[in-house]
Amino acid sequence: MFLMETIPLIILRTLWISGTAVVLSLLWSLPLAYLLSRKHGLAKIMVPVFDALIGVPTVLIGLVLYMLFSSRGPLGFLGLLYTPYAIIIGEAILVTPLITSTTYHVLNNVISTYGELALTLGATDKQAMMVALREGLPGVLASIAMAFSRASGELGIALMVGGNIKGYTRVMTTAIALEVSRGEFESAIMLGVVLVVIVVSTSIAIRFLQRKVYG
Amino acid sequence: MAIEFSNVWYRYPGSRKWVLSSVDVGFDESRIYVVFGPNGSGKTTLLKIASLIYRPVKGKVFAWGYDYWSLPNSKRIELRRRIVYVHEKPVLFKGTVEYNIAYGLMIRGLDRHEALVKARVLLEKLGLSYLADKKTNGLSAGEAQLVAILRAIVLEPRILVLDEPFAHLDSSKRDKIMELVLELRENGTGVVIASHDVFLAKAIAERVIVVENGKVLKPD
Ligand SMILES: Nc1ncnc2c1ncn2[C@@H]1O[C@H](COP(=O)(O)OP(=O)(O)OP(=O)(O)O)[C@@H](O)[C@H]1O
Ligand SMILES: [Mg+2]
Repeated sequence: MFLMETIPLIILRTLWISGTAVVLSLLWSLPLAYLLSRKHGLAKIMVPVFDALIGVPTVLIGLVLYMLFSSRGPLGFLGLLYTPYAIIIGEAILVTPLITSTTYHVLNNVISTYGELALTLGATDKQAMMVALREGLPGVLASIAMAFSRASGELGIALMVGGNIKGYTRVMTTAIALEVSRGEFESAIMLGVVLVVIVVSTSIAIRFLQRKVYG
Repeated sequence: MAIEFSNVWYRYPGSRKWVLSSVDVGFDESRIYVVFGPNGSGKTTLLKIASLIYRPVKGKVFAWGYDYWSLPNSKRIELRRRIVYVHEKPVLFKGTVEYNIAYGLMIRGLDRHEALVKARVLLEKLGLSYLADKKTNGLSAGEAQLVAILRAIVLEPRILVLDEPFAHLDSSKRDKIMELVLELRENGTGVVIASHDVFLAKAIAERVIVVENGKVLKPD
């Protein structure tokens, strides 16, 4: 039970690591999706690839990054192994296919459909853009929420490149794994419940936001 | 002529096949046109070009005398607002039915409240007030099509373009829309309807335009 006092810190660490990972991923996922929506040929090849990678096993990303970041690996000199930054990078990569693919589909279908519809009703180009965003944004927001859930709920990357270091890289999933291995089921279950609450409330918050806007 | 094609050719981006070739056709106000032809003949494409949504790959479209696609944006919008196209598969915005019907009015600068009132008045006139507050994702196919048509009608366009408007409508709704169409026509609106229904074409058309394989057949 000695873990209990540090639980709030672990929760906060999980939130910032996964949150930062999602934001980082947005930096390239959104431009990538835009690029794909412009280049039909490229999209034909890349979109199915991204779709397939949505479910990529986290241990696989963990393994690859471990080899890159380990002291003898090509990026070993960066000293990233067993830091929160390694987890952030890994989780950002993890959620890239999900965000890119959803955003691509939104740009490609939703925006062209609603953009054209707005034009038929006499919208200016700018008004058409606004209405297309209004229709497309919920899909993108939902995928961002999903990405956050996936990032905060993954174990493979955090364990392999984070190392589950107490007070530094320990996040909720690695803490749960540790507690279970110690036979401390009570705190493991508690952390598990909190994790579920975080994931569910993210999704509820997004829904609530959509209600507000589209109600 | 309100809308006039001059040797219009069209193919979709990324495709090499001409979907329309060498089309010359015109649509005027105060007339009812039926564009008639089999599936895939090019009716929808022709209607979207006429509605100033698609730009022809070759040829010109004149709108009220102006060579539309060579005009600056600021002038285009004013002409485009005179003609309203209704999709064959209705697309509705998220939100309520009244928001959808009011949308075109709001982007034309009408105050939100006034636009919503106008939408309600139109629904009432058709005995459809019960639809006003409904969310669009809970509508039946026929209701959705009806809303899409009303959303265009409320704008009182000079030309109303309906692509297969009656596909999902039951006969009473169909009659209501027909009545509205005739009323619009009496008030000077031109109506262009795409259809593969011969009887409809014969029943209301003042001009029938036959499309086959991307060509408009010359009347003989
Ligand atoms: N977005 C698109 N990209 C490529 N080709 C298209 C596209 N839309 C239509 N086409 C092709 O253009 C041709 C004409 O299509 P169009 O939709 O104008 O026919 P239509 O007469 O309206 O048919 P229907 O009666 O089924 O509505 C068809 O051969 C179709 O395959
Ligand atoms: Mg069609």
